[in-house]
Amino acid sequence: MKTEIAGILEKHEGDRGGLISILEDVQARYSYLPAEALKFVADGTGRSLVDIYGVATFYKSFSLKPRGKHLCSVCVGTACHVRGAPVIAGEFERQLDASVGATTEDNEFTLETVNCLGACALGPIVVVDGHYFSNVNSSQVKRIIKKTHVGLDEAEIKADRRLYLHTVSCSRCNHSLMDPDHKIDGSPSVRVTASFERKHGWLRLSSLYGSFAVESEYPIRSDEIVDFFCPHCHTDLKGASACPLCNAPMVAMLVRAGGIVQICSRRGCKGHMLDLDGAGV
Amino acid sequence: MERLTSIEDFKAMQDRLVSERDYSKPSIVIPAGTCGQASGANDLIRVTKRELLDRGLTDKIRLRITGCHGFCEAEPSVLIQPTGTFYPNVKIEQMVRIVEAVRDNQVLDDLLFVDPATGKAVEKQSDIPFFKTQVRTILARSENIDPIRIFNFIRNGGYSALAEVLGKGEPSQVVEEIKRSGLRGRGGAGFPTGAKWELLANQQNGHGKFLVCNADEGDPGAYMDRSVLEGNPHSIIEGMLIGGYATGANEGVIYVRNEYPLAIKHLLIALRQSRGFGLLGDDILGTGFSFDIKLVRGAGAFVCGEETALMRSIEGKMGEPRQRPPFPIEKGVDGKPTAINNVETWANIPLIIADGAEKFAKIGTNGNTGTKIFSLVGKIKNTGLVEVPMGITIEKVVTDIGGGASGKAKIKAVQTGGPSGGCIPAERFDLPIDYDSLAEAGSIMGSGGMIVMDETTCMVDVAKYFMSFLKDESCGKCFTCRKGIQRMHEIVEDISEGQGTLEQIDLLEELALSVKDTTMCGLGQTASNPVLSTLQYFRQEYVEHIENQRCPAGVCKALITYSINENCTGCTLCAKTCSEGAISGDKKQRHVIDSESCTRCGACVTVCKFDAVEVA
Repeated sequence: MKTEIAGILEKHEGDRGGLISILEDVQARYSYLPAEALKFVADGTGRSLVDIYGVATFYKSFSLKPRGKHLCSVCVGTACHVRGAPVIAGEFERQLDASVGATTEDNEFTLETVNCLGACALGPIVVVDGHYFSNVNSSQVKRIIKKTHVGLDEAEIKADRRLYLHTVSCSRCNHSLMDPDHKIDGSPSVRVTASFERKHGWLRLSSLYGSFAVESEYPIRSDEIVDFFCPHCHTDLKGASACPLCNAPMVAMLVRAGGIVQICSRRGCKGHMLDLDGAGV
Repeated sequence: MERLTSIEDFKAMQDRLVSERDYSKPSIVIPAGTCGQASGANDLIRVTKRELLDRGLTDKIRLRITGCHGFCEAEPSVLIQPTGTFYPNVKIEQMVRIVEAVRDNQVLDDLLFVDPATGKAVEKQSDIPFFKTQVRTILARSENIDPIRIFNFIRNGGYSALAEVLGKGEPSQVVEEIKRSGLRGRGGAGFPTGAKWELLANQQNGHGKFLVCNADEGDPGAYMDRSVLEGNPHSIIEGMLIGGYATGANEGVIYVRNEYPLAIKHLLIALRQSRGFGLLGDDILGTGFSFDIKLVRGAGAFVCGEETALMRSIEGKMGEPRQRPPFPIEKGVDGKPTAINNVETWANIPLIIADGAEKFAKIGTNGNTGTKIFSLVGKIKNTGLVEVPMGITIEKVVTDIGGGASGKAKIKAVQTGGPSGGCIPAERFDLPIDYDSLAEAGSIMGSGGMIVMDETTCMVDVAKYFMSFLKDESCGKCFTCRKGIQRMHEIVEDISEGQGTLEQIDLLEELALSVKDTTMCGLGQTASNPVLSTLQYFRQEYVEHIENQRCPAGVCKALITYSINENCTGCTLCAKTCSEGAISGDKKQRHVIDSESCTRCGACVTVCKFDAVEVA
């Protein structure tokens, strides 16, 4: 833990309002603020532990207790309140058998209320792991919990009408990158050469827009930034933009039907952009 | 990314961007702010992309993903430009038809917005009653801008105001221009922005000066700042740059609440892009002027919207307010002179510079110039963000733009100003909306939340809600705020449970006045407003709870019972829904609620299709 905290502190060196951002990063890493971590933060920043504890307990979004795998926030802003948010919060308490602010016994869910998420027209609003549910009524609560257990990001490859195939080619030599012999998600995959840590090998991506399935010759650690090359002309596929989510370089490919698709070169990041008129930034 | 090194460079790029664009080509505009995404805009975007690719239309039709346009009730919506055709509440299947219609230059009559007053379909967005009465100088800009693409912003006149003031090289003229516009702080207090800037400009620049954008929009029910940050982040950056140039500040902070992840994402992208183009940072456009902006995320504390607490939070400390003076303008962040303005104030700055102070001052009334964005929510038909000239009456906003009550119950009040504001009864809806009139009526303008309440909203419950909110959010520094709000909450809670006495109303009033007089910061000084204004206008409701043990609105759980009337068809839906098993009855027979085991959760009312569940 000590080295990880040191890494976070280093990232925020010279940062304005450092402490709050540091604690936010610590919480993002451990899902709460472990006592030991606060001690490391105190040591590293030279501030007293009391100071750190004060900040950690003053702000609502920090938790000193471990939190569940899923964070479920029920908005209780005024607009949601007049539309029946207290009933929704009560129903979550009943269904999860945990009161507001608590975590379920199986450590799956933490239930919270928040003061206004600013989507007042759609109230009552519930946010689970960043997914918004609008106009929630008490009979939907059970379904939301069930959906979360299954996984909110899961897309059913066969049934989901929002997924579609796109054919891509190298932005330099215009050679197709499609590999019909190696299928991912039941469709031809996109093949590129990936290079990281002095290893070179193939990397295949799903060609379904909306699927994030990837296979590679060598296992790639999560968070690793990978260089992508065209397997035909060996050009670096790096595009002009940075990933909107994590700031890593984006990889650009031409879409057969028109436009440019850019994906983040960081393993595990879902940042992507599809520009139909190729306008870029 | 090419770094621009002179004002001429910038203008050349802007001209190139404008000339490159073929404005006759149709665009499909899909708003995808937080509300849009929550109601399914992302799916529409996907389908549109698929259709454009499949049909080879990518060079014939443009797709633009923007922030929120304001008509939240109609989300997910689609706007077609340049025709202005507006499709509300679009479903995935319908999106395919819309793409075809745009290709063929047609309008789909069956998908258009239907005016509930006339029953007729309205094609153009500008003809819809919700949009017609508004003056959308800020919100309309978001329609033309993809917030994560700086080219889009620059093509639409973005950063021209900055280039203009940098080109003139007269900072004091900028301050004069803002003073002449009459712009007052949009965060709620209404301090003249130009005067604030002048004070900052006159401060000694020993260790640097500071600008802050207060985007800690904590008032529940207010979300106009979120919408501007998500939909047009560059306008805030441009506003702050102009402010920095005018006042001699070189550092800025945008303090955003953590509950707005999309706003944070768009701001970070915008900051990175403008820095990359040399529009932010050192030696901006080669003029020698340097200004940098950092983003600081809040961590969920309402009191941090108060300026002195906000500054402490920026410094990485507990967000406790402190005594003023010294005012931030003398001693602010890190002890440096600091000017703090709200998001909407900053968004107005480039408009004033670009269009001139006179044009801005023409909108609104004397002493209250320009437009103000309100979030019209609650029991109203057209929920959404409305931008209106200052001085418009509440009646116009609620009836003409909002379309009146959402349900059958009559509207009885609007609540403005969030937890620091008050309730204004329907009899006073002729009141013009400006800083002074609202304060006189016992409420405040606040940041712009406008929550409509009808006869099914209990005013005692509203007061209880705000006291409970403020009780949790009081930082605890002042005794009267910490304990006073807690006591007020207890009294209101007693009354809502039928345990109150008439003497308690007097006590409540006295307590409210003492809290108002004896606390230090804005939170405490205004905390009594919800209680005082409901007592002023709706005292009878309090009395009813006490004397007759009745909640006229049917909200306070301890004083109501649920029953099923003869409308019941015996469909059994309510019995299946009730998690307490309090409803019994045979199929096709009228059901009965056991009031002993009923928790008054209201689930049966929501599911009943026959209006058979009664609250009394």
